Amino acid sequence: MSQGIYSAAAGMAAFETRLDAVANDLANVNTDGYKRARLGFRDLVYAQQDAKVRAGSGSAAVDAGRDWTQGTIHTDDDPLSLAIQGPGFFKLRRADGSASLTRDGSFHLDANRHLVASTGEQLDPPLTLPAGTSPADVTIAGNGTVTVKGARLGAITLVDVPAPAGLQPIGDSQFAPSAASGAPVAATGATIQQHALEASNVDAADAMTSLIDTQRSYQLASRVISMQDQLMQIADDIRR
Amino acid sequence: MLAELSRQDQIANDLANSSTAGYKADRSAQAGFGDLLLENTRTGTPIGHVGEAVKIDALVTDLSQAPLKQTDEPFDVALQGDGFFEVQTPQGVRYTRNGQLELDANGGLVTTTGYAVLDDTGKSITLQPGTKPTIGADGRIEGGPRLAVVSLTNAAKQGDNLFTGTPGARPAGTEVKQGFLEGSGVDAARAMVDMITSMRAYEASQRVIHAIDETLGKGIAAGGGV
Repeated sequence: MSQGIYSAAAGMAAFETRLDAVANDLANVNTDGYKRARLGFRDLVYAQQDAKVRAGSGSAAVDAGRDWTQGTIHTDDDPLSLAIQGPGFFKLRRADGSASLTRDGSFHLDANRHLVASTGEQLDPPLTLPAGTSPADVTIAGNGTVTVKGARLGAITLVDVPAPAGLQPIGDSQFAPSAASGAPVAATGATIQQHALEASNVDAADAMTSLIDTQRSYQLASRVISMQDQLMQIADDIRR
Repeated sequence: MLAELSRQDQIANDLANSSTAGYKADRSAQAGFGDLLLENTRTGTPIGHVGEAVKIDALVTDLSQAPLKQTDEPFDVALQGDGFFEVQTPQGVRYTRNGQLELDANGGLVTTTGYAVLDDTGKSITLQPGTKPTIGADGRIEGGPRLAVVSLTNAAKQGDNLFTGTPGARPAGTEVKQGFLEGSGVDAARAMVDMITSMRAYEASQRVIHAIDETLGKGIAAGGGV
């Protein structure tokens, strides 16, 4: 009995997932290289109750990866601040040796003069600044070629995956390639901009609208539950 | 009461899907069971008709166009006008109006639930990974095939945003809009009104049961007094 109460509960769970996603987007409105979540919904199975009546069982949230739209690029004084214009990622090597991808280009030098991401992961392939040079001597061209005081040091290679929707977010603005995303390949059509960072592509106004919309939907679903409760109360009152 | 309960279930499902792209709301139509003709058992004179109860006669899905929502996503497509996209599922070809798509690792164009989207020759679509092709109003993907859009008769919901039915020709005048999603067809205000009305009908039926119970009770009490 009372399929409706479960449909509504499923709906509330789905809206909650979206609320979490929007909240996370809003928290990252100023995180460089952050891409907002892309979430969808689907309806659940329909049970045929009799020849003419079928009952639905609510909705569920579907993760559709991220919205990879380019964020605005803003200039930064740090010579090791890099922004990617176009589709692609910086490839990093994590402490456990696995690869991770990021669009957060706020690099710096670690104690061993390696070029590392804000959370300490080395670039892959690694870059080491020769002793006696400072970050101010580094020039990074659009194609990724790194020169220090006019001498070529190496290159930053940008990579891309066939299906960015399949990338696994692992925190720290980084993503791990998976079977669903495909292996990273050299990016085409992406350039690096030095002295710049890519801002988060979360539109605060958009996220707020989404937040209110989701909250209202959540409220409606909860109203259904109290309505179903009233119905059961009425049925219970038949016998007084 | 049972009919109203069933209607409540339908409204609950609609409201749970108030944000599901391409979702179409249901309408419950009620009908009476066959009327009985009462007649005097001794003389056979007809007294009148009496209805037995109501039942949900049909659950009709309202397939009318819902407003489009701009998302600016290259792989979000919406249909403006009649028709459905075709997708391949393990159970066979199914139909959907939810155009939230993405590329899989092999460049295949799939729905977010993982089903391959079909072109107008019934084949799945593979695109160059990393591309963001423009999709024309006729469904033509830049440098690729054309998205299948079919009309559907006997459309029935299956879950996962999918419909079953009998496909027909490409509907005339239907436009494919890239960067948009079709909103849910659920009108929250209407659903709330329906829900309250239905609840009151349910309550009224309960009162009727009470009235009948009381009448029978009085009859029994009167009979016992003799």
